[in-house]
Amino acid sequence: MDFSILTDNFGLYLEGFKNTIIASVIALVSSFFLGVIVAVMRISPVKVLNWLGTGYVEFFRNIPVLIITFFFYFGLASIGIELDGLKAGTTALSIYTSAFIAEAIRAGIMSVPKGQMEAARSSGLSYNQSMRLIILPQAIKIVIPSLGNQFINLVKNSSILGVVAGLDLMYQADLISARAFVTFDVYLFVAMFYLVLTIPLSLGVHYLEKRLARSH
Amino acid sequence: MGVIFLSVMYRAWSRFFKCYYLKILNTLNSRRKMGEGKFMIVFDNVNKYFGHFHVLKDINLTINQGEVVVIIGPSGSGKSTLLRCINRLEAISSGSLTVNGVPIHDKTTDINKLRRGIGMVFQHFYLYPHKTVLENITLAPIKVLGKSENEAIKTAEFYLEKVGIQDKANAYPAQLSGGQQQRVAIARGLAMEPEIMLFDEPTSALDPEMIGEVLDVMKKLANEGMTMAVVTHEMGFAKEVADRIVFMDEGRILEEAIPAEFYVNPREERARIFLSRILNH
Ligand SMILES: Nc1ncnc2c1ncn2[C@@H]1O[C@H](COP(=O)(O)OP(=O)(O)OP(=O)(O)O)[C@@H](O)[C@H]1O
Ligand SMILES: [Mg+2]
Repeated sequence: MDFSILTDNFGLYLEGFKNTIIASVIALVSSFFLGVIVAVMRISPVKVLNWLGTGYVEFFRNIPVLIITFFFYFGLASIGIELDGLKAGTTALSIYTSAFIAEAIRAGIMSVPKGQMEAARSSGLSYNQSMRLIILPQAIKIVIPSLGNQFINLVKNSSILGVVAGLDLMYQADLISARAFVTFDVYLFVAMFYLVLTIPLSLGVHYLEKRLARSH
Repeated sequence: MGVIFLSVMYRAWSRFFKCYYLKILNTLNSRRKMGEGKFMIVFDNVNKYFGHFHVLKDINLTINQGEVVVIIGPSGSGKSTLLRCINRLEAISSGSLTVNGVPIHDKTTDINKLRRGIGMVFQHFYLYPHKTVLENITLAPIKVLGKSENEAIKTAEFYLEKVGIQDKANAYPAQLSGGQQQRVAIARGLAMEPEIMLFDEPTSALDPEMIGEVLDVMKKLANEGMTMAVVTHEMGFAKEVADRIVFMDEGRILEEAIPAEFYVNPREERARIFLSRILNH
């Protein structure tokens, strides 16, 4: 392994690392909230919301994230809305991941006993209040392990930004390898940067899972 | 002499009788008396279907303020459904159902507002597992009634003491026994200061040694004049505090009677068979 590749291009690696983190964090937060909203739509007693939610999930989780990214990068540009690679990629990533998160959270909501909603409603809370205060907190706790998996996938999928000049790790790696005429080592270091992100994430999820299991 | 003495005695007694005895009697009965004539829950020809399945058939039932009505009947006879119609956890299919003067099936009725006045206690408690006992009880008063946190905590502590578990305020539901959980559930209902309490088999999920503590709380409530509709097969409870027993079978109310009559000599053959079954097991 040639460490000079890492040291010589450390600035580029760091720049890519920073952008990967930015894209991941933004996509993580927005895909989570989008996912919650879509999950709630999916189980909503209002038929229209129900259909919209189902359509959203089925559409976005069944096409490659690359195509969604192209849509936000090239597609929108063709109608005059110019997004840079970072923005287009992050948006695509958020939407793609939110479809999976919505499914996970929906499964979580379904596994909360029906009586919880009934108890909340019979005390006079509205449907929305019951959902927000009683059902969702329990549902999210149940699905933390699978949310963790989705978030790890999200960090890895952020490499899609490289394709649309998103300035992330993958993009910088392409740049470095084109300059240095080396491929294997360049991407090996990239893998290590990804691990620096995903392993703590994975450990964090494990920790949370254990702590929540213990508290009740 | 004797005659005069007697007549004085009589006058004194009758005055005492009029002034005090009646007064005492009145205070004792005042809660019931006040409620007399005030219909809290009125089922008028109510029918309910689940798809094609006819669950409630021509239900006519009136529950007065301060009355304790116990509903019994075989499994699947529609007892829970009847109860759940009262706070519209289930919608009725036809007929009319009025709770505290409000037609609950009416489209314009604000159901969340109506539900404030109706507490419900479930067989499996359904405490919120992610919230402490205190949070379970204060949630609705804060979010629905708009009470301040301090006010809500004070109310919660009052009712926790009433159900005898003030020392568990900061525990999570999973740390409590079944009997304790059910008493918290009752306190949670009472904290909304409802006019009606509904109980759906509140003791059937409990170990036998915990049934008494829950029934005691319910008896206390009944004696304080709460309007109660209770689905339970606990005969001791029914005999002690119920004003009426309602016997259901296959979606119909087959018999309504005072407990002394119903348990000793039910009119309906099916009630007789049902009673002998629950007595002999
Ligand atoms: N949501 C529902 N959808 C379809 N059928 C239902 C539904 N809820 C209850 N039923 C049916 O309606 C009938 C009456 O149910 P209900 O729960 O009111 O009976 P119950 O008298 O409370 O019985 P148990 O003593 O077992 O609690 C049963 O046959 C039940 O299977
Ligand atoms: Mg039932």
